[in-house]
Amino acid sequence: MRYRLNVVEKSLRDQKWQIVGFGIALLVMAALIVYIWPSYRTTVASIQLPEAVQALLGSDLAYSTAAGFVSAEYFSWIPILLIVYTVIQGTGAIAGEEGSGTIDLLMSQPLTRTGMVVQKTVAVCIGSALIAGFGFLGFLVSIPFVDIQITLKGAALASANMLPMALLYYAVSLWFGSVLPNRTYAAGGAIALATAGYFFNTIAAAVSSLSWFKYASPFYYYGAGLPLVKGIDWAHVLLLLGIAALFVALTVRSFARRDITIGGASNLGLRDMLGRVLG
Amino acid sequence: MAPAIELRSVVKDYGRVRALRGIDLTVEAAQIYGFLGPNGAGKTTTIRILLDLIRPTSGTARVLGLDSQRDSVEVRRRCGYLPGDLRMYEGLRGSAFLDLIDSFRPQKRDPQYRRELLERLDLDASMPIRALSKGNKQKLGLVQALMHRPDVLILDEPTSGLDPLVQQEVAKLLEEAVAEGRTVFFSSHVLPEVERLSHAVAIIRQGTIAAVEDITRLKSRAVHVLEITFAEPPPADLFALPGVRELHRDGATVHIQALDGLDAAIKAIAAYHVVDLRTEQPSLEDFFLAHYAAPDEERVEDALPAERR
Repeated sequence: MRYRLNVVEKSLRDQKWQIVGFGIALLVMAALIVYIWPSYRTTVASIQLPEAVQALLGSDLAYSTAAGFVSAEYFSWIPILLIVYTVIQGTGAIAGEEGSGTIDLLMSQPLTRTGMVVQKTVAVCIGSALIAGFGFLGFLVSIPFVDIQITLKGAALASANMLPMALLYYAVSLWFGSVLPNRTYAAGGAIALATAGYFFNTIAAAVSSLSWFKYASPFYYYGAGLPLVKGIDWAHVLLLLGIAALFVALTVRSFARRDITIGGASNLGLRDMLGRVLG
Repeated sequence: MAPAIELRSVVKDYGRVRALRGIDLTVEAAQIYGFLGPNGAGKTTTIRILLDLIRPTSGTARVLGLDSQRDSVEVRRRCGYLPGDLRMYEGLRGSAFLDLIDSFRPQKRDPQYRRELLERLDLDASMPIRALSKGNKQKLGLVQALMHRPDVLILDEPTSGLDPLVQQEVAKLLEEAVAEGRTVFFSSHVLPEVERLSHAVAIIRQGTIAAVEDITRLKSRAVHVLEITFAEPPPADLFALPGVRELHRDGATVHIQALDGLDAAIKAIAAYHVVDLRTEQPSLEDFFLAHYAAPDEERVEDALPAERR
């Protein structure tokens, strides 16, 4: 049978306004932050942030440098927008289609369950890359025209560097969506994990006795604006992508073996959920 | 040639609830096969097992000789399916939805047949799905199931929500499919519909196949329920006739159920002064109880239509 990418195509078409919406938000933020840098430079140059406040900025780049400023104002929190997008898609992929009941007709087509999950994942990879790409466009229309000590290459790397963590949260929410009774639970679980990840990283940076917390946070491996000056930390990227791939694999395993429900499995008991987790 | 559908000892448990208790069924190719049963009997569960949407706890299901689970992609390629709980992508236009379904199908597209189906069912596919009435959604569901001329059509309550004229057109379309050598397997909880459409019928009740009937035999088993009001109470033993059962008596009004004893009952009534005579459409449940009830279920009050119990 011919290989088709129609689920990728359909998913991207469904998401187009989300992608454009998030994309424009990133584009505007990126350009704005670069353009205001010259007027802030003199003000922030004299600022010596307390360690605890610096810790909340997501990286140890000094706020008084251009890279530190862009990191704190953009790369430390913009991934959260990206995560909102990927979690919407992750919970929608299986739990959403089951909740709306459209999954019955979709899965009655000559399409394997693995193929369905993989195609939807490809669509989210493309969608998040497009959103991050919009953000880079914001840098592209600002950096060359402003006196700022960051390079377009650095901005491109840091923008791309947002993707692994966003995809990790996609994969987790996808998996939640395949084992929990409905989309609300799945979204709740994924958002709780993302919030925990964010705070683990900042708390670890602020409280030295809890510094080991950071190893439990995807935000630590992400590193906010660090790629602006240091390039990409491939070990961290591989770790994040590896965990993402693991959750996609777990999803395929549980989804391929279980019954497809319509309207959400509201009667799913703890034992059933455990059954889905263990496949 | 392999049967179109073959189920062997199919059991399905949902937690502690046993939905299917060992279904055995063979549907030979090129016929319209009705799958009749009350709501909750296991019709949808059986159908969703055929398409590997759910997995049987035990037993095997085969479609065109292919294993429903192992060869599920090939099974689904050769089947057209109308879900009982039909949900489509509400944001799409009808035509875009049909294009999407088409894109999954390796079969050569047949836009002319698709147009013909839309015309014959009188459906405007340019409308967004969310703007379609329930009946029109059902038509769209039928078009997507039929349009690529699958070898087996699996339709869960196909005429639900359709007006009688459209139902007739659907019946014609299904007859045409069978004339081309294809097979139709459809479920229903409406006895007259199954009588009208199908060549053979399997009756499912409480998760088991209660009977498999040729359609002419099924028709001969019609249940007649009569409510007769006499001028004065008739003799108590008036309806002690073979093939007739008195269900209920309220003064001069008597409810009887006649299977093959309709003629005898009418002749017995004729000797008395009749004030009123009504016939009732027996419910599927009445029909089951009259013909397929387990002995311990055969109690008079069970055979009464539900609203009078």
